[in-house]
Amino acid sequence: MVKLVINKKEYLLDLKGHETLLEVLRDKLSLTGTKTACEESECGTCTVNINGKAVLSCITLAADIAGEEVITIEGLADGDKLDPVQQAYVDYGAVQCGFCIPGMIMSSKALLDRNPHPTQEEIEYALDGNICRCAGYPKIFDAVRKAGEMMQKGPEHAGPEDTKEKFKTNMAKGITYEEFLQMKQT
Amino acid sequence: MSVSINSSQNTANFNPVGKSVPRIEGRGIVTGQTKYVFDVNFPNMLVGKMIRSDRPHARIKSINTAKAQALPGVKAIITAKDTYGIKYGSNEYFFPHTVDQMAIESEKVRYIGDEIGAIAAVDEETVLEALNLIEVEYEELPSVTDVLEAMKPGAPQIHEAMNNIGVILPVNFGNPERAFKESYYVREDKFYASAAAMAALEPHVCVGQWESFSNKITLWASSQAPFKCREALAKTLKMDLNDIRVIKLAVGGGFGGKLEMLPMDFAACLLSKKAGGLPVKICYNREEEFSFSRRKHAMYYKIKTGVTQEGVITAMTGEVIADGGAYCSYGPTVMAAAIMRIFMVYKLQHFRINGYRVYTNTPISGAMRGFGGVQSGFAIESHMDLIANHLEIDPIEFRLRNITHANMTTVNKMLLTTNGLKECIERAAEASDWKNKHANKNYYKTGIVRRGIGIGIAADVMGSKMYKSHESAGAIIKVEEDGSVYLFTGAADTGQGSNTALSQIAAHALGVKYERIRIKSGDTEITPFDTGSFASRVTFISGNAALRGGHDAKLQILEIVAQEHKLDINDLDIVAEEVIDKKDKTVLMNFDKALELCYSFNYGKQIIGRGSYNPKTTPIDFRTGEGNVSGSYGFEAQIAEVDVNTETGEVHILKMWDAHDIGKAINPQSVEAQIEGSLMMGIGYTFTEDLRFKNGRVLNPNFANYRVPRSIGVPEMHSILIETDDPEGPYGAKGMGEASLLPTSAAIANAIEDACGVRIKDLPITPAKIIEGLAALNTPSPSTSS
Repeated sequence: MVKLVINKKEYLLDLKGHETLLEVLRDKLSLTGTKTACEESECGTCTVNINGKAVLSCITLAADIAGEEVITIEGLADGDKLDPVQQAYVDYGAVQCGFCIPGMIMSSKALLDRNPHPTQEEIEYALDGNICRCAGYPKIFDAVRKAGEMMQKGPEHAGPEDTKEKFKTNMAKGITYEEFLQMKQT
Repeated sequence: MSVSINSSQNTANFNPVGKSVPRIEGRGIVTGQTKYVFDVNFPNMLVGKMIRSDRPHARIKSINTAKAQALPGVKAIITAKDTYGIKYGSNEYFFPHTVDQMAIESEKVRYIGDEIGAIAAVDEETVLEALNLIEVEYEELPSVTDVLEAMKPGAPQIHEAMNNIGVILPVNFGNPERAFKESYYVREDKFYASAAAMAALEPHVCVGQWESFSNKITLWASSQAPFKCREALAKTLKMDLNDIRVIKLAVGGGFGGKLEMLPMDFAACLLSKKAGGLPVKICYNREEEFSFSRRKHAMYYKIKTGVTQEGVITAMTGEVIADGGAYCSYGPTVMAAAIMRIFMVYKLQHFRINGYRVYTNTPISGAMRGFGGVQSGFAIESHMDLIANHLEIDPIEFRLRNITHANMTTVNKMLLTTNGLKECIERAAEASDWKNKHANKNYYKTGIVRRGIGIGIAADVMGSKMYKSHESAGAIIKVEEDGSVYLFTGAADTGQGSNTALSQIAAHALGVKYERIRIKSGDTEITPFDTGSFASRVTFISGNAALRGGHDAKLQILEIVAQEHKLDINDLDIVAEEVIDKKDKTVLMNFDKALELCYSFNYGKQIIGRGSYNPKTTPIDFRTGEGNVSGSYGFEAQIAEVDVNTETGEVHILKMWDAHDIGKAINPQSVEAQIEGSLMMGIGYTFTEDLRFKNGRVLNPNFANYRVPRSIGVPEMHSILIETDDPEGPYGAKGMGEASLLPTSAAIANAIEDACGVRIKDLPITPAKIIEGLAALNTPSPSTSS
């Protein structure tokens, strides 16, 4: 029996030597938040964090990481309070089909935990192992930057100012009964 | 009004149309809780695998399944003997002769990967072992894998089609020959656009289950078109539509690859029946995904254009030869898109392009994002620059002299109502500072790294009838007594965000906040019919249905309020969750109270809104290319600025600008994301995405050798949203999602020529081709253009 520590919970598992962490997570523990799109270490979709580092679970033998601290996408939120990285991905439109997102978030999380103010280049390098076929990279970069700010200062400081600015020219052209709206919103 | 995007600030989104509200499934996705079919796991679920041909072209003499059947753990095996041998296809309505594929092939295999059977076993190990025990005896046939060879008389015959030409699409107007004679300049160019893979991250995956007591089946499918899948299943299984339920869960990307039923969908259902009703899951691995799903048509595009001295196009002719692979799939529509899109962009009177879609013994070409428009966009927009350069007219000026405009009928009878193409071009030019950069010898034109700028323009439909005589969408809006609002739509969100946009439209129409909407989409048994997610149709067509459904529900509520308060219903409205009297602008009650009233002792009225929409189009005559294919049209201009390293041949994209007439941005953030994703996909296709074959086998069936864009080197991208407020669109919106991919390769190729004088006419653009081009420029002999 091997003891795995996943999302701060201990599991005693009867593992075969060749079983990967990905297989254990998805097939044995039903933690299907971790995806895979190639199972040959090319796509990054299966990324989890082990001792704070982004690791590909498809090429990690489960038995090799007995006792190490594994965090998956399911282990990031605190109850229904999202981790700042998760929150930023929702708020800044970084989610499209979503299949790459768990892995992308885990890579982002590992980066921001060691470096909350990454440069653009640092973000690009940290996420280069994670393919997003919807290619939503610009919004993903926004989310990572903003998540870093949120982690530093608390969520109330990371407003969507720049996005507001960007969309100013595309705003709705006026609405009916604006007075009612204002009444509702104040 | 401010655009609020931050859900964490707990602001409700009243009047959500035009706001960048967060994805409706956003929290589910970022917590890993959203379920894809990939994640489905039922008790006693079997693992299925397809038995595939390892020959490019052969007659099946016998299949012996006995040894595999005897393997412990194998629960079911099917071959063609277990099927009705019925063919299915994707363009049945307009092109019945292109219905050419069997769910399980019985006599002949036509490419490496052709499905000749399937196995279900208790686990993956067993099913793989069983696959090795299948014995197939083939009579090898000569094969042809090159499209030009396949067209030659005497080439191996893949189907019945003469010279392997499965689809001929002649598009023909006016008298181009005469117009050429009267032209100041006539130019012909030849282009080649390579094959590519959709490569959605979630592979093709399905779970089929036969319910033995009712003889019904359920298929959980990662599908862009669940209703289309149901239709193909019903046909091939000889069942009624209502005996089949196709359920779409979250879909991890489609890009056209998940528009059709694949043999695996059929096999999962039939294997389940044979296994006594146990659910069967079939999931492609990445190699299968690259080799056996669908791919983009490689195309040879020959185009000839005449112009006046002033740069006005007089006539155009050409020929398109597309490598179709082993079966027809969406071939006819791909050809139509590759040829007929040009009428939306340029004013043409004399025109003739013939399209030939040719069978080869290679994987099946289908409908990849943009259908044939990406390949033709590369050819046409590169060609336009070559003409403009010869005439020494600025490429933007040249285009402005020839583009379509609002309220016009094209030569093939397309009705262009709103048309923001001119504004798109002008805004993109202005944003990119075109006039100071293009053809400017002082703008980084010396030294090793040279800089250039290029443009491409495009237009797109929003909907297209493909497999039925109509392409309607429906919406049901159920409002319950506690005020909860459910939207049921047949539209398939595959990641583009239609669940979010449709919820915004429904909420806006009903007069409630976005957060109130719960959505159920793409389940053939409980949601209204929808043809699927393709042709950029969902916001426009399904959105119109959601709009009508929302209005209908609202009227039902107001009817009760009017009755109760003895008011005229025409004076009432629901705005920001208040029922108001428009005459004296007073609030009568809030939305919750109104629903309490509807469901009260006196009324007991269920609020169920319904919406249905079918765009106003005319049938297309595929012998000429005439017909108004879409209810409206979207437009787009794109500019790329690149650096070319003249020593290494490497191209670095500095910036891209994309101005897009989207009618109205229902969700600006999603619109931007679609544009940015299209540009990146276009950049990938231009430089690295090249699906290669040898003797019919895919040479690069993995992400290591098929390079899709990654995070490093993403250029700065600027989206400019042009809102033309289309009278037919929901809140003025048009469809989008494909158009911005169409001109990308040409915009880049044009920028490369501006930078260093090298014109690349065959994709992908590689450093080697640029170095070769530079060398040719420097040789003294006069270079001849093709």
